[in-house]
Amino acid sequence: MIQLLKIELYKIFKRPRTYISFGLITAITFLIQLAMLTDGKGFLGFVMQGINEQFDIQGHILNGYLVTYIILQSLLVQIPLLVALVAGDALAGEANLGTLRLLLTMPISRAKIVLMKFLSSFIYTVLLILWLALVALFLSLLLFGIGDMVNMKSDAFIMILKDDIMWRYFMAFTFAVLAMTTIASLSLFLSAFADNSIGPIMATMGVVVVLTILSNLEIPLFNIIRPYLFTTHMVGWKGFFDDPVPFAAIGRSALVMAFYTIGFLTATIVYFNKKDIKS
Amino acid sequence: MIYKYFKMPSTFKILSILFFIVLYSFKVTAKDATELFYTLRTKVLSVKDFTADVKMKIEINNMRIPLLKGTLYFKSPDKMRMERNGGLSILPKKNINLTLGNLIPTGNVMVIDVGYDTLAGKKVHIIKAVPEDELSNIVLTKIWIDETNLLAMRTETTTRNDGTVKMNLEFANYIKYALPDKVTIFLDVKDFKLPKGVTVDYNVNATPDTNAKTGKQKSQKGTIQISYLKYAINTGLGDEVFAKDKEE
Repeated sequence: MIQLLKIELYKIFKRPRTYISFGLITAITFLIQLAMLTDGKGFLGFVMQGINEQFDIQGHILNGYLVTYIILQSLLVQIPLLVALVAGDALAGEANLGTLRLLLTMPISRAKIVLMKFLSSFIYTVLLILWLALVALFLSLLLFGIGDMVNMKSDAFIMILKDDIMWRYFMAFTFAVLAMTTIASLSLFLSAFADNSIGPIMATMGVVVVLTILSNLEIPLFNIIRPYLFTTHMVGWKGFFDDPVPFAAIGRSALVMAFYTIGFLTATIVYFNKKDIKS
Repeated sequence: MIYKYFKMPSTFKILSILFFIVLYSFKVTAKDATELFYTLRTKVLSVKDFTADVKMKIEINNMRIPLLKGTLYFKSPDKMRMERNGGLSILPKKNINLTLGNLIPTGNVMVIDVGYDTLAGKKVHIIKAVPEDELSNIVLTKIWIDETNLLAMRTETTTRNDGTVKMNLEFANYIKYALPDKVTIFLDVKDFKLPKGVTVDYNVNATPDTNAKTGKQKSQKGTIQISYLKYAINTGLGDEVFAKDKEE
């Protein structure tokens, strides 16, 4: 099993496209940090207009913690794509190269192969989020310094003292790993149906975009399904920057995503076990 | 005329004398209230500047701010700044600020005696002060005064531009300067809204907030509680203390 996992990880990390994800995260992060360095005050002025009209806030507002939050918010759409780039290729990529049949000749069950594919995608996702934490959080702290953090919700202003922030980021990144693992499992599931990796990657993004729209559209028609969409719960990391932290709601969101992850993985195993492999 | 007066029936004479006595007593009381106001104002304004270690608790519905500890700088008439050892500080942006000196009208004032009441177990004299300057931001200030110690225990100031600001004051260690140990300010705060497309909120209940649909800016009450732990009074604070950049 470990050997198989090592092979899967080798496959992922020998491909240049894997590093595109790390490069993209670095580039986007740098761009946002640069924008904040040059025009961060203007951006803050816009976001905090309602508060600034009534309150005089003094001190180091544009600090590393706030910039990291802005980066994470901006990367909401991109990271699922980066995860899908690898997970969507896991089975479809093998089918496309014609190596899937060869893989299945090994004395390992199909379920184990799917599990190893999932585990290697999970490890890739963890590394991606760790890299994001490194360049977004630590580099922002280096560039912008530390300070109390302000968090603007649509109808609330939250201030968090600087000594009370780091654990929130740790939890937020952990939650992000869970959310992205759900995307990886969806992508792997779609990958089982295809013989070309482009299809599952695009389909994953399509599903994420459509469900995100449904999660955010405030139309009564969608109210019934909204709590059951995993995209509604993907922004659960933001809950750690609320006061008080809605632990119960975050726990519910984590459960929903764990349920989806297990569901997609089980469906992948069931389908892949029955699939007639022709390439 | 004096002759005519003495010719009047005795009942009318008694009534008219009583009327003059009552009128005179009102005049005396009004004079007392005016004196009381000006004496209090002189005492309050005797503090030209102070530096104080403070704890500030802000309780406003749509603002969640932890207890802030810091140093509050004040210089008469209206300079105020809070410093929090590298942290953020938040003060209401009003033309009037959080000191008693700014909630009491300046210049010539018409004082109305309202009477007596009991506040926190103490007998207090209530007066209303109306500035004669029509351009003053303060329209009316109602003050509950502890006459024994010459302290304003509560104020209710109606302003032209900033709504009504109520302030409760508790005194213990700095009675001599009329500086409170604890102040609770009650103020009106406007609601604010940001587009959800910008903030992408995490909706705890996973259902839309139906109250958010109206989009109207509503006012709500808020309180700011400041506990003054230690004062340094009239040390000659320079203006440079208040001139520091907002974003340091």
